[in-house]
Amino acid sequence: MFYATLEGLRRFNIPHKFEFLSIISLYAQWIREGRLKVDPSWNNEGLKFTVQDPCKLVRQGLGDRVADDLRFTIKKVVGEENFIEPWPNRSNNYCCGGGGGALQSGFVKNRRDYGKIKFEQLKRTGADVVITPCHNCHGQIMDICDFYKGKWKTTHLWNWIVKALKR
Amino acid sequence: MNPKGSVLVVGAGIAGVQAALDLADGGYYVHLVERRPAIGGGMSQLDKTFPTNDCSACILSPKLVECGRHLNINLLTLSELVSIDGEPGDFRAVVRQHPRYVDTGKCIACGLCAEKCPKKVKNEFNMGLSERKAAYLLYPQAVPLKYAIDSKNCIWLNKPGRCGACAKACPAGAINFDDAPKDHLLEVGAVVLAPGFSPFDPSALDFTGYGRVPNVVTSMEFERLLSPSGPCLGHMERTSDHKEPKRIAWLQCVGSRDINKACHGYCSSVCCMYAIKQAVIAKEHATGGGLSAHIFFMDMRTHGKGFEGYYNRAQTDGVVFHRSRVHSVIPGKDDNLIIRYADEHGKAAEEEFDLVVLSVGLELNRNAISLMDKLGVGFDSDGFIVTAPFAPVSTNRPGVFVCGAASEPKDIPQSVVEASAAALEAERLLAEARWSKTKTKEFPPERDVRPEPPRIGVFVCHCGINISSVVDVKAVTEYAKGLPNVVFAQDNLFTCSQDTINQMSETIRRERLNRVVVASCSPRTHEPLFQETLREAGINKYLFEMANIRDQDSWVHRDAPKMATLKAKDLVRMAVAKVRGDEPLPYNSVPVTRAALVVGAGVAGMTAALSLADQGFKVHLVERKDRLWGHARKFYRTWQGDEVRPYLEDMSRAIESHSKIELHLNTTIEDASGSVGQFKTSLSDGSLIEHGVAILAIGGESFKPRQGKWNYLYGRNPNVHTLLELDKRFIEGDQDLKGLGQAVFIHCVGSRVPERPYCSRVCCTHAIDQALKLKELNPEMDIFMLYRDIRTYGKRERLYQEARGKGIVFVRYDLEHLPEVRDEGGRLLVRAHDPVLDRYINLHPDLLVLASAVVPRDDMGRLSKLYKCAVGAEGFLLEAHMKLRPVDFATEGVYLAGLCHYPKPIDETIAQAKAAAARAAIVLSKEAVPAEGVTAQVNPAKCTGCAVCTQVCPYSAINIDPATAKAVVNVGLCKGCGACVASCRSDAASLKNLGNEQIMAAIEAATEDVVIGPEGLV
Amino acid sequence: MPDEKRLDLGKLRTKLKKHIESAVPGINIDYCLTCGLCASGCPATDIEGLDPRKFLRLLVLGQDEEILKTNWIYACTMCQRCKYACPMGIDVGRIVYEIRGMRPKEQRPKNLQRSCDLQKESNSTGIPNEDFVWVVGDVLQEVRNNEPGWANLAAPIDKAGAMYYLNQNAKEPTVEPEEMVPLWKILGAAGIDWTYSSKWWDGANYCLFTGDAMDWEMTVRRQAEVVDGLGCKYYINTE
Repeated sequence: MFYATLEGLRRFNIPHKFEFLSIISLYAQWIREGRLKVDPSWNNEGLKFTVQDPCKLVRQGLGDRVADDLRFTIKKVVGEENFIEPWPNRSNNYCCGGGGGALQSGFVKNRRDYGKIKFEQLKRTGADVVITPCHNCHGQIMDICDFYKGKWKTTHLWNWIVKALKR
Repeated sequence: MNPKGSVLVVGAGIAGVQAALDLADGGYYVHLVERRPAIGGGMSQLDKTFPTNDCSACILSPKLVECGRHLNINLLTLSELVSIDGEPGDFRAVVRQHPRYVDTGKCIACGLCAEKCPKKVKNEFNMGLSERKAAYLLYPQAVPLKYAIDSKNCIWLNKPGRCGACAKACPAGAINFDDAPKDHLLEVGAVVLAPGFSPFDPSALDFTGYGRVPNVVTSMEFERLLSPSGPCLGHMERTSDHKEPKRIAWLQCVGSRDINKACHGYCSSVCCMYAIKQAVIAKEHATGGGLSAHIFFMDMRTHGKGFEGYYNRAQTDGVVFHRSRVHSVIPGKDDNLIIRYADEHGKAAEEEFDLVVLSVGLELNRNAISLMDKLGVGFDSDGFIVTAPFAPVSTNRPGVFVCGAASEPKDIPQSVVEASAAALEAERLLAEARWSKTKTKEFPPERDVRPEPPRIGVFVCHCGINISSVVDVKAVTEYAKGLPNVVFAQDNLFTCSQDTINQMSETIRRERLNRVVVASCSPRTHEPLFQETLREAGINKYLFEMANIRDQDSWVHRDAPKMATLKAKDLVRMAVAKVRGDEPLPYNSVPVTRAALVVGAGVAGMTAALSLADQGFKVHLVERKDRLWGHARKFYRTWQGDEVRPYLEDMSRAIESHSKIELHLNTTIEDASGSVGQFKTSLSDGSLIEHGVAILAIGGESFKPRQGKWNYLYGRNPNVHTLLELDKRFIEGDQDLKGLGQAVFIHCVGSRVPERPYCSRVCCTHAIDQALKLKELNPEMDIFMLYRDIRTYGKRERLYQEARGKGIVFVRYDLEHLPEVRDEGGRLLVRAHDPVLDRYINLHPDLLVLASAVVPRDDMGRLSKLYKCAVGAEGFLLEAHMKLRPVDFATEGVYLAGLCHYPKPIDETIAQAKAAAARAAIVLSKEAVPAEGVTAQVNPAKCTGCAVCTQVCPYSAINIDPATAKAVVNVGLCKGCGACVASCRSDAASLKNLGNEQIMAAIEAATEDVVIGPEGLV
Repeated sequence: MPDEKRLDLGKLRTKLKKHIESAVPGINIDYCLTCGLCASGCPATDIEGLDPRKFLRLLVLGQDEEILKTNWIYACTMCQRCKYACPMGIDVGRIVYEIRGMRPKEQRPKNLQRSCDLQKESNSTGIPNEDFVWVVGDVLQEVRNNEPGWANLAAPIDKAGAMYYLNQNAKEPTVEPEEMVPLWKILGAAGIDWTYSSKWWDGANYCLFTGDAMDWEMTVRRQAEVVDGLGCKYYINTE
């Protein structure tokens, strides 16, 4: 998780020479620079997408800046008009409920009760696909979709980038 | 040093305007500087005002008009202060006046420039919710009523030659594209800063949704949505689809009491009340009723006079209050908004709303920050201008004073109080220069018109399009020409514009008019202007009548223009009939006894006495006890941490050694008579005092809960104290306090309860400060505060935060969960309920402190009757107007200050006492005060000497002359109220120019010549 | 109905609160206004009978036992959304972290602790490093062989001096190795010079969630050493 490393380096004052980056910022940067060529025309049926802003990356990590990069990338990949903004979002997004070790802790009912609010939020978007750029979010959102009988497909971002890739 | 007799006032909101008026009326020449093209400030943008629900513009407008017309106020709009140097009494200020591009001497405010201007921009007066043109009037009632061109948006000014539509359209040739900035070098003795506030911008608080989701507005925007002059003409629409909202939520403390994202730790003081007001008004606005209004809050802060009652009424009227701050506003279906909240016990619930109003806090006016910085006045950590507790309107730069929201967020009455107090400080500094810079209006000698037959002139006003869009003004004018004795009639676009006024004066002379009728807006705002015009033209001002064809005709009969025109003719005909019988009346005045009576020698009385005496006015300071200081004797320190004793000792010394103050200790008021300028008061020591004004500063009492529901073992267990009793132990340096293990405070003892339904304002802050003092003495002490709402308004919030930070625990209670106090073998047991955990708590305090109410003095009624002052429902003295006349009584020449008005802390008491002194000084600074011209008169031939009139006269202005046994009127005291006329059984009493002849003439005129129009007679 | 439990505060003892205050300077627990903003925004409100406000209230009123006992600390995901809007900026997530860490290891949720323990060895699912290397190579070969246009796809491991270091969540090599491929393709298409590491390659880091500072520090430190050891200029985190 982005925050675990970012905050770990900071809090424990761990010496390092590298710069710590998020793949999301780089996707956006590479698309802007033309290094990564993507074309949303594959989505001619207008599959609708929304996104889960991971707490660890956005609110606790790089803030709205990276959330904007995330949107930029998704829109380039699936088509601007096919992106639906969830609410609340970016730094103010709800945690999926799988974070903080919840997926491992074993309190399944608590975790799903927690995830109810996330489920309602995502359901309200009406999107066909929820992009989850974090493994915890991915696991939890897939689970609550299944448990509360949602209809969306939960996926990582990279699959769609590859789908839109032009070489 | 020779002090200058002029003062610079910066900022012309309500505070600046009040300061300017007090100074100008009190003998100083005022330069009033305003950044915007018109004066009025934030108050002019409000719809209604709490707690009276008065229309804001309606109560403000007369003051603005007065300011605009005042001979001794130099209004500098579109101007800003650039620099000040020099010293107190002798400053040089540079004021830069930006070009208006409209010649105010020529502009008749017809509005054609704005109509033709092609450039639309956001209307900042409507908070950007509507558009205006680059040529614009800031708002319909703007003073000065002159258009301006905004250079940022004007096409011509950015690309000369490209537009110029306004110049082509202007019938007065008032557009001047070559207008340039002007620097004014002003010599002034003192400076009053009143830069006002900016509403907090919630854009950065993403969770509020502001600027991100539709239908989330700020409270200031909502004021405009409610206002009849706002973007939806008062129909209350939401912004996304112009539908009327049926469910509205208010979120409190947006940008206040937030040290995280908003960086404003202070409380903005006014938001709780304005939110309740908006909820109440919105419910009234809602068509068919049924508006659901929800307020989400943390502590309800209704700590001002009349506020708690307003809050209670709002609850009864169905406004829903949720004690929960809300995390986020989430968009729902159809541009609606979803709010999830947790109740006090933590149960989560969701509600959907059509509109969300963010109750945004107040900041120091953003446009003023750099200027204030340049002036060298100090700021506090909250970004407001620093003042001192015992000098509440003084900045740290001598000779520079501050009032209004610039020093702390505050409501309008408090701003008005401070404005008068700041005026007082300037006057005190410049006392010897009083009247040295002022101008006096000189009028030509008046022609005696009595031998002349009536020659009536009628001036009919279009009022731009206010009247003429409904009433056929030309037809009314033609009609007027045919009325008996009318020798001249004319219509004008704006009768009140300077050029028309000049022209009217010439016309009166040329046509030898001896009676004048103006058919226009309202005498409330414009009668004095037209009456002055008559005097300038050399005829008596009482030979004037006004026909109100705007407020009472065109505005209310918009849908029936033909009938409105007929009504205008009727009104003009009545005015002509009435004015025909008007006689010239004398300009009465009352000589002023230049001495003041101040009743009560607590902090308020002492401050008022010194404030006047330092200006050279004689003061009689009367105190019923044998010593000075009043209640303040019992106070340990102010909430800012300054001990009160040294201040009181300084005051005592100043008072006892002051040559102008005559101190009457152990003395009470026995009787009083007279009125403004000439009061006579007899004292218990046998002396009779003559004085021109009186200030009542008679204090209040501390509630002692000796029995009943709020007793909490007070008086029965030695460890139960009131706040003042604990203060006494602090003053005495009681070392035993250090050994206490646990202290408990109970708030609201005797306040906000059915038998005393008001908040005592001071106790939250006082109790918290005491708790902090106990923590200073013993940091290990456990302290619990059992409270209902913490009301540490304004900067006092810092204390509350500090108290929490030091581990003082706050536990809320409500009337259903009153704390219980028991004596268990001499040891106190307090049982309280914690609403967050919904569990009972047992405490074992060594000290229990009761924050008991401040109550009015029980002999208030007797004193108030002597000076004909009203007492309010809560038992405190009632000022003339809760909003705009906070230190005046309805009775002229009598003022109030301190606890007798309402509970308040020392800093506010000092400000109010200074304000009362400023208001009193306006009278004392004059040889004589003008008295009513329209007074009663008694026909001795008819008078039977029955003396009924003497009993009904509220001003003691009518007496039976023992020599003739007939009633005689003292014109100096008579206010022309007509009570004697109505009570006279022999038709002997009448009012001048309002006698039977004039009134009957008007009534007869009303019924003659009635034309039944095409739409029938309604 | 009020909670039956009575609190006897004849002497207020707030040991736990004081401990946290000394461990986390500037945490300002006492500043809590009990305004309810956190509870109104928190998805964990009313789970295990608590919410962030009640949690803080228990601390302020010295109910240490209850705090140490409650499993609400695992309902809270330490997401810090409450802190984001809290008017006093109180970091409930951080407090929860401290209290999680105060639980004896054997009383912590078993699988959570196990994820951390495994990561302390190598990675959070515990597959051997050589398996990771093998899986990467195997999947890569398959793509090269079977997917047209990707014959030159690369997935370097321990390539010293690569510009970018890429971490890998352990889930993919363990259960769905084909999910690694898209990222390789993206990096390849963008022409990025990157590498995995054969040790400490998992960036997930569950030791943050057990609340154990020492464990957390150790895993981050190992990662940092590996990246610097490879001489990479940038460390790309994939989530």
